[in-house]
Amino acid sequence: MEIIEKIKTNKSIDNQTEIQKICLDKLQSSPLPNPRSEQWRLSNKSKLSNFLDYSVNENNSKFDIPYPKNSESNIRLIIGENCQIKLIEKNYSIRQLSEDELQKYIKEQISCFNQNENWSDLLNLSLSCKNNILGLKINGSKIPPIEIFSYASSNSLNAKTLIIFLEKNCNVELLQVNLGEDTSSLSQSTFFYLEENSSLNHGVVSYGVNKSNLLNSLNVIQQKNSKYNLGSLHFKFNYARFEIRIKQSEGNAKTNIKGMQITKKDEQISTYTKIDFDGPNGFLDQINKSLADDKSHAIFEGSIIVPKIAQKTDASQLSRNLLLSNRAQIDTKPQLEIIADDVKCKHGATISQLNEEELFYMRTRGITLTEASKLQLSSYFQEIISFIPVSKDRWDLLDKLLNEN
Amino acid sequence: MVNENLVKDVVKEPYKYGFVTDIETEKIEKGLNEDIIKLISQKKEEPRFLLDFRLQAFKKWQKMKEPDWAALGYKKIDYQDIIYYSAPKQKEKISSLDEVDPKLLETFDKLGIPLTEQKKLTNVAVDAVFDSVSIATTFREELAEHGVIFCSISEAVKNHADLIEKYLGTVVPASDNYFAALNSAVFSDGSFVYIPKGVTCPMDLSSYFRINSGDSGQFERTLIIAEESSSVSYLEGCTAPMFDTNTLHAAVVELIALDDASIKYSTVQNWYAGDEEGVGGIFNFVTKRGKCLGKRSKISWSQVETGSAITWKYPSCLLLGEESVGEFYSVALTNNLQQADTGTKMIHIGPKTKSTIVSKGISAGNSKNSYRGLVKMGTKATGSRNYSQCDSMLIGDQASANTFPYIKSQQPNSEIEHEASTCRISEDQLFYLQSRGIEFEEAVSMMVSGFCRDVFNQLPMEFAAEADKLLALKLEGSVG
Repeated sequence: MEIIEKIKTNKSIDNQTEIQKICLDKLQSSPLPNPRSEQWRLSNKSKLSNFLDYSVNENNSKFDIPYPKNSESNIRLIIGENCQIKLIEKNYSIRQLSEDELQKYIKEQISCFNQNENWSDLLNLSLSCKNNILGLKINGSKIPPIEIFSYASSNSLNAKTLIIFLEKNCNVELLQVNLGEDTSSLSQSTFFYLEENSSLNHGVVSYGVNKSNLLNSLNVIQQKNSKYNLGSLHFKFNYARFEIRIKQSEGNAKTNIKGMQITKKDEQISTYTKIDFDGPNGFLDQINKSLADDKSHAIFEGSIIVPKIAQKTDASQLSRNLLLSNRAQIDTKPQLEIIADDVKCKHGATISQLNEEELFYMRTRGITLTEASKLQLSSYFQEIISFIPVSKDRWDLLDKLLNEN
Repeated sequence: MVNENLVKDVVKEPYKYGFVTDIETEKIEKGLNEDIIKLISQKKEEPRFLLDFRLQAFKKWQKMKEPDWAALGYKKIDYQDIIYYSAPKQKEKISSLDEVDPKLLETFDKLGIPLTEQKKLTNVAVDAVFDSVSIATTFREELAEHGVIFCSISEAVKNHADLIEKYLGTVVPASDNYFAALNSAVFSDGSFVYIPKGVTCPMDLSSYFRINSGDSGQFERTLIIAEESSSVSYLEGCTAPMFDTNTLHAAVVELIALDDASIKYSTVQNWYAGDEEGVGGIFNFVTKRGKCLGKRSKISWSQVETGSAITWKYPSCLLLGEESVGEFYSVALTNNLQQADTGTKMIHIGPKTKSTIVSKGISAGNSKNSYRGLVKMGTKATGSRNYSQCDSMLIGDQASANTFPYIKSQQPNSEIEHEASTCRISEDQLFYLQSRGIEFEEAVSMMVSGFCRDVFNQLPMEFAAEADKLLALKLEGSVG
């Protein structure tokens, strides 16, 4: 736990920015999350300590995006590498947030942080140097799809931060790709602010190689009449944690989430979501899928919070899990906390293996067991993958997943 | 538009069991230490093993911390400010009901529990527990003819020490949790049931718990053992007088079912819930657990929880035997400032085990009602199944309903299904019923009763009717 030792002595980083100082101060008294807290109780302690064992890498080596080739109609950004962007076109503009805007927003966010809940963000912001923070303000329509990459190089801990403001009536498709090299740790924190009537189709695809680790945290604030769609996929990480916090600050907003995590070997991947409805007429449709094989462990914890003000909220959450091995483990905890009375809230959870009757049917039609299993898995995956924007046409995610399994 | 005030009015029925029986009682001094435990044990003339069990539990309890994970908020309990033993004074040992203090009999009469001979018409044997001790058990001889042992746990300690020593604390170990440890150290009385091999208990057994004094806690312990191929249905009812202080009730219930045995345990809990401002009421911290040890054994919990200021209760099943079955049917109603954190744990250990959970929560007023449940499939639970359903109904915009299901699976060849929903009383349905000439309150009560039907269907006849009435009464004045 090299980092933690450094945080304790507050010497981890030279030339600390103000934000880094604030976060380091917050972490100093209790540098690690409480392992007994609800959010961290299932987290594998040795894997987390492994995550923190690398030293921080602030320099970004040149990174070759594995595939696919960039098409001209897309905007591609790599956090830490080519952070300079200013695009002012007829229909839209994308410009970088000024230092002041960034500082102000991050400070505001930090002031409402909870030590356990936002520990990943605190760690991220205390380690993320200026170069590794990308802040954008986007305005307009007919914006070409945007791809943003975060990348962790071997034997180091890399912290990357992304902050995006979507101005009124703006409509964006964004794919975020988090890649980890062998034996690397990536701390990625993302903050979105969606103004009125804006809409964001967001995709998150995270994958690593052997022994890659990831702490991925996503904070979204939605103003009224905004629409946020998230399609996410996490796989091939020794340890990964995906935290989603969405706040519908004035209600009247729509959120759709479709996420999936796939674990094999002795990996542990977890998803934590917290959806706050701070106004009436909110809408949420969420599905989270897990697939656990070998000796791996998949975790989902989702909470929906509906206070008194959030009348006429319509929220549903579904956790569907496939357990494919005797030694694998799945934990799921969908959770509702409701005070408003005029609401429709429901959740469901299932854990099972592949449907035997369907497999049998396909086999009687001459399809081999392997093929039949693949067919079933592909339909299981497809629901999520088809929801990930930008990628679905160009990234052969489904093939990649099926070949892996 | 539903009239909020009207609904509120529907939940306001005064608590009708709130009277105090003026009876001379024997109490020991307040406080908890080894000497008090030795004194309790001595008063009950207990064998050495039980005193050791108590002292060990007390040692463990001292090292434990009160749990704070439940979604409950209450004033810190001063465990030294509680009387741990209180019993109505009786001159001599009683040999028949005629010798029981008439005041006590009157009390149970008022509560609708017939103890006297002439009233024993219904086919239910009753064990009545008043504060710390069991005062009477009916139908003993008839039960004895079938080999069924039904008596207070203190008597069982004297007459069936071997069974107590063999089974006590095997399902809920003394160190299981804070309140179970406290109970193990100071438990005063409770019921003991033993159903021998192959016997179907000829009548329903019932315990009736009554807290009478305001400053003594009630710590009863129930142990039910169903031998191979036997079956029993057990009912439990609880009431307490109205005091403006909080009274602690920390009970432990242990059930053991061997091969092909079945135990059905039903509770109607109507402890005093405190007044509208939340003053007074019982703190109900109960550990109930059943162990399906044998093959094809079955344990079924059904509960109607309407009372108590605070409820902390998770009747659970450990499904060890092959093809054993666990069931949990619950209705929890909270009103005013009541708080309930209740649910179940279904731990699937053996292969082909099955469990069903149906939980209905109704929260009205400013109350807080949480379902917290765990379903766990162990590595050996091949071919096991669980189905859970948790529905909440909210009445008024001040009440809260939470659902916290923990689901854990380590066995791919098993299936878990969970679903939960939250709704309120539908205006359309209310309007429909009213337009057919049904009074508003009756319409609400019909709808609540419909909402709980899945659970009421599981209760024994007499209880189902009582529960339905109880719910209607409790809701009187709160729906609107």
